[in-house]
Amino acid sequence: MSWWKTTRLFIGTGLGALLATAAGAETLTVYWNAGHAYQAYSDVIKKFEADHPGWSVRWEKFQWPDMRTKLVVDFAAKNPPDLVAEPGGWVQEFGQKDLLRPLNDLIAKDGKAIGFPGDWQAYAVERNKLGDQYYGVQIHLTCATLVYNVDMLKEAGFDAPPATWEEFLKVAKATTTGGRFGFAPNPSIGYYWSWFLQNGVSYYDPKTNKVNLDSPEAIEAIQFLSDLIHKEKAATRPVTGADYEGPQKLFTANRVAMIITGPWDVKPIRSGNPKLNWAVAPSLKHKEQATFAGGVSLMIPKDSKHPAEAWDLLKRLVALDTELAATKEAGMTMPRKSWAENPEIQADPVIGNFGACLPYAQDTPAALRLTGKHARIDKLLQSALEQIVFNQAPAAEVMPKFAAEANAILASN
Amino acid sequence: MGAGGREEVAAGIGNGHPTALRRPRRVSLKTRRAFVAYLLLSPAIVYFIVFFFYPIGLEFWASLYSGQPLIGESQFAGFDNYMTALQDARVRQSVFVTLAFAIGVTVASIVIGLGLAVLLNRPIPGRAAIRAIIFFPYIISFVIVALMWQAILDPYTGILNSILAELGLPTQSWLSETSTALPTLIAITVWKDVGYAMLIYLAALQSIPGDFYDAASIDGASPAQQFRYVTWPLLTPTTLFIAVVSTISQLQELAPAYLITKGGPADATRLFSLHVFEAAFFELNIGYASALAFLMFLLILAITFVQFRLLNREVSY
Repeated sequence: MSWWKTTRLFIGTGLGALLATAAGAETLTVYWNAGHAYQAYSDVIKKFEADHPGWSVRWEKFQWPDMRTKLVVDFAAKNPPDLVAEPGGWVQEFGQKDLLRPLNDLIAKDGKAIGFPGDWQAYAVERNKLGDQYYGVQIHLTCATLVYNVDMLKEAGFDAPPATWEEFLKVAKATTTGGRFGFAPNPSIGYYWSWFLQNGVSYYDPKTNKVNLDSPEAIEAIQFLSDLIHKEKAATRPVTGADYEGPQKLFTANRVAMIITGPWDVKPIRSGNPKLNWAVAPSLKHKEQATFAGGVSLMIPKDSKHPAEAWDLLKRLVALDTELAATKEAGMTMPRKSWAENPEIQADPVIGNFGACLPYAQDTPAALRLTGKHARIDKLLQSALEQIVFNQAPAAEVMPKFAAEANAILASN
Repeated sequence: MGAGGREEVAAGIGNGHPTALRRPRRVSLKTRRAFVAYLLLSPAIVYFIVFFFYPIGLEFWASLYSGQPLIGESQFAGFDNYMTALQDARVRQSVFVTLAFAIGVTVASIVIGLGLAVLLNRPIPGRAAIRAIIFFPYIISFVIVALMWQAILDPYTGILNSILAELGLPTQSWLSETSTALPTLIAITVWKDVGYAMLIYLAALQSIPGDFYDAASIDGASPAQQFRYVTWPLLTPTTLFIAVVSTISQLQELAPAYLITKGGPADATRLFSLHVFEAAFFELNIGYASALAFLMFLLILAITFVQFRLLNREVSY
């Protein structure tokens, strides 16, 4: 392109922007997770723009940590986006700091028409509330469960996936051969919760204002995982700092028999290795069958310049049709009860099995979040768990130390 | 004053008071020069005030508050945040890790950079290309460097362990063991930055007059003695420059820990900047994070002062 063409392009773009501003054009800024930019949502945004002449949606996509950094800076500058997708926990955290717009008036007006909160799973509603005040609406509701390589298990003589820790250990050891491993644990802190929850451990007790992770059950759970890696040599050693996709990549590459993951990995596994014979199993059971819940909610910052339009877009994004389209496209599980009851969803062996975990999935840090000290304690926990899982420190020594430190933070002002 | 006002004043007429010859007040040359200098400097001064001094002042103000200064409610806390930071074991740990990282990277960059510069200062074939290859990582974004090294060092799919396995050597979990994570992070940073040190040393080597080496040769000095008694002393200012710049830069470094290890395993690579960053953006403990940042500023100031005192010897050619 010649310099004159380039110059004309710049001038044209500038003039276009100027004219659009003069004509009253408005922009709705939306922060979104880069991994969730599905075509289904792109279509909704296009329809929104078509229905609102003169409006355009600036759909900015980030990885979660980068989005958080930008959002905090935006809050400080009092220039936040109009609508934000968050990974769980931010709604209550920012709501407590009076940075979000309460949604009660909007829900009173439109709630019945969109089925909120009645059509949402109860805990997906609770995690977006502070007292009686709504601050967010859940758009994805997920949980992680055991995903396994059917052929690797068959080769090792197993026709069905493990259901208990004892069976899991047996399968993991039997499928570890050569360069292949029985299990690949995920180093992200949330994934450790499968083991804690299955051993009946909760994070925090609001009555005593203490964490529960120095209990014998908590110690047993994390020691089980550490032993699986270091003593039994039946699991890969997690890689520090790596993103959550590491185990999925090994699984997709046919090098690992089992991983714990959620519907967010359905699309990468299917596209990464279409020939892989894999399936989704119910969560393991030790003391109880349990797993952790996750998911994404939408929230409107208090200083949003266009809250009415943001609410309009939010309603469209959480509509049942949009949920079904996103599930069809990416395998994502959703918070609506009517979504879970949909015959197509129930008939899908992968999505249906993930959906079957939602009723017993738990929002692990729900109670701790309300103390406002969750992020700080989570960092301590991450370090403690890494000492056990990476450095082979005995859980019986590390977890009480962590609990003492966490309880001191909880007891402080 | 009318058109002829100046002349009227000069003549002492027109105001009813004869006599005194009143000359217009003239601005001195020195003042006029200063005015012009400040006028020309004003864009830079405004830039530094707006983008450096104002944020630094704001940061110091925030460090005196608890709660969420800058984004929400806060309460004046005096120097409580500073006292808390000084008593925090995790802060001490991250300072220790950061000092080890900064010293490791700086010393290795100086030693390797100087070695490469001495080698590539000789007339060897393809030296321009070799210099460019060594300097190239310095201009790459650390994001790319992090992704590349994570892929290379992956214990199960990485090429480094594949090569070690092919050679019959034991493989390593480079980033997953406390004992190897920090040295690995140092090695990656040195790989990226050593080209800069090499380039500065090359420029310094080329500025040493050849007469010195001729004289040393005539006196019977071996190449090692020439390096010890001619090259190294004359490179002292360069070494000081690299040491100061590298130390300051590495003490503030965030990218290697944030992008490669997230501070793990078990805080083994938790650099101070990462600790500050997480306190501010993940824990939303902005007052405390601001106090930590100021403490780091004081530490860098102290280290730089010591470096100047130790290395700033006068060198004359």
